[in-house]
Amino acid sequence: MIRYSQLYWQFFKKHLKVMMEYRLDFFIGVMSVVLIQFTSIFFVKVVFDQIEDLNGWGFYEVLFIYGVATMGRSIHHIFFDNLWTIGWQYIRPGNFDRLLIRPINPLFHLIADRVQQDGFGQLVIGGLLMAAAMPHLGVEWGPVNLLILLVLIVSSGAIFVAVNLFFATLSFWIVDSLPITFAAFNLSDFARYPLNIYHKGIRWLLTWLIPYGFTAFYPAAAFIEHSGYRELGMITPLIAVISCWLAYRFWKVGLRAFNSTGS
Amino acid sequence: MRKYYEMMKSQMKIETAYVAWFWAGTFATVVKILILYYFWTAVYENRSSIAEMPLETMLTYAVIAALLGNFHFAGPGNQLAEQIQSGGVAVELLRPYDLINRLVWQSWGGFGMSLVRDMLPMLAVGWIFLGIQFPATGTGAVLFILSTLIGLFLAMYIDLILGVLAFWTVNIFGLRTLKNAILLFFTGSMVPVTMFPGWLQTLSQYMPFQSIVYVPVSIYTGTLAGLDALSAMLVQILWLALMWAVVRVIWSLAVRKVTVFGG
Repeated sequence: MIRYSQLYWQFFKKHLKVMMEYRLDFFIGVMSVVLIQFTSIFFVKVVFDQIEDLNGWGFYEVLFIYGVATMGRSIHHIFFDNLWTIGWQYIRPGNFDRLLIRPINPLFHLIADRVQQDGFGQLVIGGLLMAAAMPHLGVEWGPVNLLILLVLIVSSGAIFVAVNLFFATLSFWIVDSLPITFAAFNLSDFARYPLNIYHKGIRWLLTWLIPYGFTAFYPAAAFIEHSGYRELGMITPLIAVISCWLAYRFWKVGLRAFNSTGS
Repeated sequence: MRKYYEMMKSQMKIETAYVAWFWAGTFATVVKILILYYFWTAVYENRSSIAEMPLETMLTYAVIAALLGNFHFAGPGNQLAEQIQSGGVAVELLRPYDLINRLVWQSWGGFGMSLVRDMLPMLAVGWIFLGIQFPATGTGAVLFILSTLIGLFLAMYIDLILGVLAFWTVNIFGLRTLKNAILLFFTGSMVPVTMFPGWLQTLSQYMPFQSIVYVPVSIYTGTLAGLDALSAMLVQILWLALMWAVVRVIWSLAVRKVTVFGG
């Protein structure tokens, strides 16, 4: 464990050097993400100018859900972005074999190979959203609550990672599962709004099958008195642990079944 | 025999990749439309109209605007920028055709295909399952088609302006993202311009963007009809003429620059 964290630090320093070398690109990447996020927030604002609540959810409550979603995504985006590339950058060109002969866990190597700078833009905007929404929720933000919030956000990030890892693993059999991963990832957009506006089937799917509901809606609901989902929100860390465990098991199965493309 | 069998299998995998991307894209659009559907249904829960639009009209607007909005992210400007950055533009200039016209007509080809492949099936789904309305009148339908085509032309020329800028700036990516964020919002692909706060509506009236999505879709829903529709289309044509002129001017300046540097 200590060895791996030291190793990650070495990898991370290397990425940091690259980022600082191309400062302008770093800045543009961050700004572009901030802008795109900003349009969807503006959308919510424009709609809430016309209405008081969305199925009982006020403007700041919806903003809070957005904030949790954005923070969770940013963790996934900054540190685990390389899962997206496993098919076309590793398996297809035969690069994955290189990871397999190294004396470290290939999954660790894959993840450490990249730090996605654009994700910092999400982190910034997520932070701003939370800061804007939190004082209006009627919650006492003492150290305990802040700690719970932090744990829930990290769990949200972990669920994003687990789902992506699961679908990325399919690449071991079909060379590149990017379209499937992309399609599944789209489902996470559902969780940016209160889940009770959707049909029962969709809600069930996002709760128990592909648990994106736990990346934003449920953890946010844990802090909202009238949400009716406080208990479900609190089991977010448990869901995160289970999904990561399942995804990692699946990854192991995939690794064993893997035949190199041999190029 | 075995090697030929393997070759057959590899071709099948390549074909699957295209099919997989098609379905992933379709799936993403379905998710987007479902979110719009449930979101707006929840918004209208306790009220019968927002900005003078009943739910059916708003849903129709949201779905058609989202489908049209899909086209504005890959335009001819992108290809032009690539040609310029790779230096391929020098060879293109020697060929016996006008590069700008070539790129525009290639984009129309792409649009035609995605109209048949993505947009019409989605519209059919919307008409059958989501209660999307048909155009209010026959004239409305004809004007909608004309207005959509003008809007697409306009979007292509705005995109080309960015493309030509690649002669002067290396980092076109940031500009593109900025443009996408502006387009997403000001074209009215997310909400009708009439829902904007007053000052923003005024600002929007003096910009070309609302001619791209808001005008055609409002003609479809019948919000713009009769003389209003015709005058909005006149504004569309004026913007198109202006953008066409801008592209021509900066393009000829840019081409002269290429000659100065000797290709």
